[in-house]
Amino acid sequence: MAVRPEALAGRRNPAGLPRFLNLFAIRFPIGAIASIGHRLSGACLVLAMLWLPDTLARSLRSQGDYDALLAAWRSPWMAPLEFLILWAFCYHVLAGLRHLLMDVGVGARLPAARASARLVLGLGFAIALVLLVARRWP
Amino acid sequence: MRFHIYRFDPDVDPRPRMQAYDLPDSPADRMLLDALVRLKDMDDSLSFRRSCREGVCGSDAMNINGRNGLACIQPLHALKQPVVLRPLPGFPVIRDLIVDMTQFFAHYEAVRPYLINDQPPPERERLQSPQARDSLNGLYECILCACCSGFCPSYWWNPDKFIGPAGLLQAYRFIADSRDTATAERLADLDDVYKLYRCRTIMNCTEVCPKQLSPSRAIERIRLALTKASI
Amino acid sequence: MRQFTGQRAWLVQRLSALLLLCATAALGIYLLIEGPPGYPAWLAFARHPAGSTLILAVTAALCLHGWVGARDVVLDYLHRPAWRLCVLALVATALGLVFLRVLVVLAATLAHAP
Repeated sequence: MAVRPEALAGRRNPAGLPRFLNLFAIRFPIGAIASIGHRLSGACLVLAMLWLPDTLARSLRSQGDYDALLAAWRSPWMAPLEFLILWAFCYHVLAGLRHLLMDVGVGARLPAARASARLVLGLGFAIALVLLVARRWP
Repeated sequence: MRFHIYRFDPDVDPRPRMQAYDLPDSPADRMLLDALVRLKDMDDSLSFRRSCREGVCGSDAMNINGRNGLACIQPLHALKQPVVLRPLPGFPVIRDLIVDMTQFFAHYEAVRPYLINDQPPPERERLQSPQARDSLNGLYECILCACCSGFCPSYWWNPDKFIGPAGLLQAYRFIADSRDTATAERLADLDDVYKLYRCRTIMNCTEVCPKQLSPSRAIERIRLALTKASI
Repeated sequence: MRQFTGQRAWLVQRLSALLLLCATAALGIYLLIEGPPGYPAWLAFARHPAGSTLILAVTAALCLHGWVGARDVVLDYLHRPAWRLCVLALVATALGLVFLRVLVVLAATLAHAP
């Protein structure tokens, strides 16, 4: 008997029956890991964006402010935070590039998609690490 | 062989539980369904759907050791023990491994999965070139088992509004059909916030399809068609 | 003729992503070759009509891209209309203010010409 989906809209579990949704009991493929990473890194970056206007303003105010800004990010205390933002950024850009290519059919087949997911996960971390070290190397 | 199976009897259990079974090995058992049938001989209250036992009806879709699949074509020897069986994730559980497919089939019917061609029918068939017919490969073979939609996080979060990979694959099967004349309406119908665009190309669907179909590719094609139609 | 809705958000996300990708690549190449710019060069860039437009365009792309992404997350996880309205309004306001503040900062920089 057909039920129009509009009748079920807004009711994700119409009968109130239990549902199996224990995410820890589900074996996610590598693509799903890549995808949740993309979402988490995006959330981090949106949060980091809130500091953008202030950082921009300070960088333009005076020579002193500009130098202080660059110096602040060199302090060892900022290293973990800087790595987090660098990692989020690098990962999000690479994963986004993977999505854009898949949109036009490149690497959309399963073996290629799995390989690109692994590549993006590894490369994102590696590039962030390289950038962090490069910036702080005396 | 050791099994941990999700049990839920609405008349008896306040909440679902996992039950352990020890099944003596039998050389006659090749597929998971064989074991399940023997488990039911041991415990008649164990409930699951099954029919063709050859991977074409889609009745026995379930979550096997964390991944969705069909019990009848899942070789037993390839399964790590204890074999953990749970119902399709995200679907309301009626009893044990049996889930409510109402919403899933409602989405299927909503995409109008039938040929729409109001032109007067020709004397014999509506002709289609071999190439046009080939473009339906990888689309028509869907058995609506729901392994894909049951593994799609976007479908888990919005099962009432997101059509899901299975429904969208069937939608594309008719969008791609050269004999169908309602292409523009089909595309326009899918263009809303939820029906198609909840898909994040996670590709969980393609990973678990027991017929090796690619709903993610079909969805990508629908998006391209929508983009082309809007230019 | 129906207005394309879900598709609009998707296109905005993809197009802003392309713009941001180009900007990131350009910035990356510049930093690799020239290293971080000195304050005078940076100030001159922000004062230049092309430079300030670029900064503004990148900010706009960031805000739009972030908005579509945040909206997707909210639509997935928050289902009660009251919660949705609150969080979406908060995010929209925050991102809108980011853009406006960047606009104000750039305008002020242009105004304080030596």
